[in-house]
Amino acid sequence: MFSRTALILALCAPCAFAQAIPSRPEQLTFAPLAFQVPRAKEHKAKLKNGIPVVLSVSEKESSPLVRVTVSWRGGAYLDPKGKEGLAQLFGAQLARGGTASLAPAQLDDRLETLAATLSSACGETTGSLSLQVLNRDLDAGLSLLLQVFQEPAFSQDRLDLAKRQQRQALSRRNDAVTSIAAYQMSYLLFGDSHFASADTTAPSLESITRADLLAFHGRLLHPANLVVTVSGQVDRKGILDQLNGGLGALKAGAQAQVSAAVPAPAFTRKPGIYVSDKDAPQAMVQWAFPGLRRSDPDWHAALVMNQVLGASGFTSRLMKKIRSDEGLTYGVRTALGPGPHWQGDLTGSMQTKNRSVAYALRLAMAEMQKLRDVAVPAEELQVIKDNLVEAFPSQWGSRQAVAGRLTEEVLLGAREDWWVDFREKVQAITPAEVQRLARQLLVPERLVILAVGKASEMEPGDPDHPVGLGEVAKLPLVRLPLRDALTLKPLN
Amino acid sequence: MRTPLACRTWLAVSLAAAPLTAQTLPIVEKTLSNGMRLVMVERHDQPTISLGWMARVGSADERPGMTGIAHLFEHMMFKGTRTIGTRDAKRDGELNDLQDQIQVGIREEMAILRERQRRGEITNMMDPKARTPRLQELIKAFDRLVEEQRGLVVKDEMDKIYSQAGGTGLNASTSQDRTFYITSLPSNKLELWMWLESDRLANPVFREFYSERDVILEERRQTLESRPGGIVGEAFNAMTWAANTYHWEVIGWPSDIAQVTREQANTFFATYYAPNNITAVLVGDFSPAQAAAQAERYFGRILANPKGVPELITLEPAQPAEQRMLAEVETTPSVQVEFKTVSAVHKDAAALQALAGILGGAPAFMSRPGAGGGRPPSGRLNKALVLEQKVATQASASFRGQKLGGTFSLRATPAPGKSPADLEPLLYAELARVAKDGVTEEELQRYKKATQVGLASRLETNAGIRETLAQYLAVGTVADFQAAQDRTLAVTREEVQRVARTCFPREGRNVLLTTRKEAKTPADDPLKRGPERMKKMEGK
Repeated sequence: MFSRTALILALCAPCAFAQAIPSRPEQLTFAPLAFQVPRAKEHKAKLKNGIPVVLSVSEKESSPLVRVTVSWRGGAYLDPKGKEGLAQLFGAQLARGGTASLAPAQLDDRLETLAATLSSACGETTGSLSLQVLNRDLDAGLSLLLQVFQEPAFSQDRLDLAKRQQRQALSRRNDAVTSIAAYQMSYLLFGDSHFASADTTAPSLESITRADLLAFHGRLLHPANLVVTVSGQVDRKGILDQLNGGLGALKAGAQAQVSAAVPAPAFTRKPGIYVSDKDAPQAMVQWAFPGLRRSDPDWHAALVMNQVLGASGFTSRLMKKIRSDEGLTYGVRTALGPGPHWQGDLTGSMQTKNRSVAYALRLAMAEMQKLRDVAVPAEELQVIKDNLVEAFPSQWGSRQAVAGRLTEEVLLGAREDWWVDFREKVQAITPAEVQRLARQLLVPERLVILAVGKASEMEPGDPDHPVGLGEVAKLPLVRLPLRDALTLKPLN
Repeated sequence: MRTPLACRTWLAVSLAAAPLTAQTLPIVEKTLSNGMRLVMVERHDQPTISLGWMARVGSADERPGMTGIAHLFEHMMFKGTRTIGTRDAKRDGELNDLQDQIQVGIREEMAILRERQRRGEITNMMDPKARTPRLQELIKAFDRLVEEQRGLVVKDEMDKIYSQAGGTGLNASTSQDRTFYITSLPSNKLELWMWLESDRLANPVFREFYSERDVILEERRQTLESRPGGIVGEAFNAMTWAANTYHWEVIGWPSDIAQVTREQANTFFATYYAPNNITAVLVGDFSPAQAAAQAERYFGRILANPKGVPELITLEPAQPAEQRMLAEVETTPSVQVEFKTVSAVHKDAAALQALAGILGGAPAFMSRPGAGGGRPPSGRLNKALVLEQKVATQASASFRGQKLGGTFSLRATPAPGKSPADLEPLLYAELARVAKDGVTEEELQRYKKATQVGLASRLETNAGIRETLAQYLAVGTVADFQAAQDRTLAVTREEVQRVARTCFPREGRNVLLTTRKEAKTPADDPLKRGPERMKKMEGK
């Protein structure tokens, strides 16, 4: 290799064009690039019954596709006790179960003829029904969307199938360390009696009936719960008139309710190092600190601190240390939850071979301690801030992205145009603020650590780097039994 | 009765009103003086450029003993150059040489361990407890060199530079057929890409080589070994492809990954990463004429490899007998049948793709990557097995065309009370139905329209266009982007019926029947199970 490289340099040195290449990339200069954050006001409208509409449309758009989405506030947090999974099943079945006048197969048939996609899903707090259709078929597509949204049939046959599929999915819950970690962590963070940990079980799934889905639908069908989003090649006035003729005429039904506020968990976490035993070649490791809400004045500083720590790929410290230096993982990342309904969490995760879990965790803990102890060097901080600022326009890179982002803001009830001064706020963060937030958030005594893998290999650690799992933090080491895949009852 | 009738009339109108035409892109092609090719698409919708360059090399170009090197190589290309990634290029180079010398000793010791394992004296040569005293010493000496080098390394500097410039999605991927290095940048930063990418092609240094092998072993554990069915899938693929080099997974066999040397990597680079084996794809807000001149300045300085790359000679022989694999995995039971078929650019590929679309639903490869969550495939298999007979909870078909060949797969997940073996003949029956009666014109038209809409969706973003063009560059040329659409739109019912008749002989079957293996946890001991759980087990 070295000989080949040297040869190339020797040959290129006399070339005139090669001399024009600067010796370092920092010597390149670039033309300025201005980017205006899309303003909410320019993208928003209201239907005559008050339903907000978010639009990113233009007749000059080159793509022939139009996307229309109806989103709602409401989700798993509304599931009655014993019927966990209702909202999810409702979301999955809305677009698949036919309508009052179309059997499921007929609905599928019409959509296929248009090569249109109609999909629906419902998560913990919101859900949506989305149409993608060629603009020349927009009328036909919209009328199907409207029919499905207003008069879904939830065909018994399709519901039975979905329940069979869902039950199979439940039976896989203990098959991989990743899916085990997902449920264990939600119990550790939210306790046994909050919707965030109340996953579907076989009995709860069994108990969900067509009548439940219809009731859930009736409850959501209130203009105050809805937001409509349109993007693509369509005329603004035309589509608004069309929507007003359909969804704009929607009135709250007899069963309709304005969705209640999302309840915060009332649970006191027990910091510790939790171990779930699963015979697997690689362990899943996760951790969580209490974070803050996006509306907090310290949010931007926390965000920057989190990017320095672990949310910015290879420019983050954890990735450099645990992957690049030590070769212990394919990836390690942290995330700062925006906490739309209550204080979010600052979480981390990585997968590593069982015997490396303790050592990799110790390295991670040391990096967090360093962020608390030493102010981040100005140059490193600048790279992190520049990345957030320079990459910011790419997050608004298509009509669909602009419309989707603004819709999310409406659904979450965020302050309008929150993003407008995002870049200025990020650029103003100082090393001292990063350190203050590291001290405020990365508090070892509040840490919940979970390791799912082969306990007999994880607990003693790696002979090359002697540290036991119990020594990575001054916290109790607790064995956490797996739960039954179908019932979620702890297995003892 | 009224609704289906109305539906049919409406359908006829809609199809008649929708003539299908191929989608075009304003592609500009340019070949640099050293043979490197550029494929450029100018569009000014967004102030970004999605960029990539593809080396026409993948795991299919490897041989036993160094499987996984194409992918390892992909990781090494992020480790810097003589300029990027180090504070002291001279000492850095010396340390690399010293590391290589110690690795020679390590390999000698590994050979001893391999022999011990062969004789049954140890069970796992990779276990730290099995190391010889000399190996232990060498590892320590090696770690000291690594420690010294760490002081000189500017960690992941390329990531840092791109990141600070607003780059997103810096990554690379390796397949059997190609390796593709990608990123997206604000449109004013095109020259930065030229600088960094031509630098790593002209002056790469594979530092942190040996620790990166460990990263890849972790990647293998994460993406293959700890995924339920992962290593069974690897074995099934190896059973399916007997002779050609699709036999092993892209990530390689673990024994080989742990032993790859820097010398092998150097030879690999010299052979496959010369500019005449590379094509760059640029999509977005820039001027192709200016970019071409700039590319000549930056990439044009790299010397071509006049010898070219070695031709892949081995052809997969016709499979003489049906092959079956029975696996127990901690997952939902399933049946998978694979037939080896033609390459992606073969004249029959479009007909096989159409057959897969009609049997399995809208083809996944045409949809937007990561879309997910849409409606389930509503192909014939889903209608027959899942919706009507209710014997399966999922049923799908797919055609995967690659450079040296392709696979046609049928898959199904049995409904409770049914076994994978129960479903296998039903999959063949649907194939036989097409062979006997063909498909309907309506099915074919719907399929064609779905592929065109799927493609329109992919072509909405710079990155989507880049990925779409790359898909064709990996198996053929950029002209295949248009040719594949034309062939898809021209496929006839007769062609679909012909491939259904000729491409699926009984002896060509590769069958994987997976049944559930119960986890070995104390809780799964039937004696310790509560009555409620016992009852559930019986119900399965």
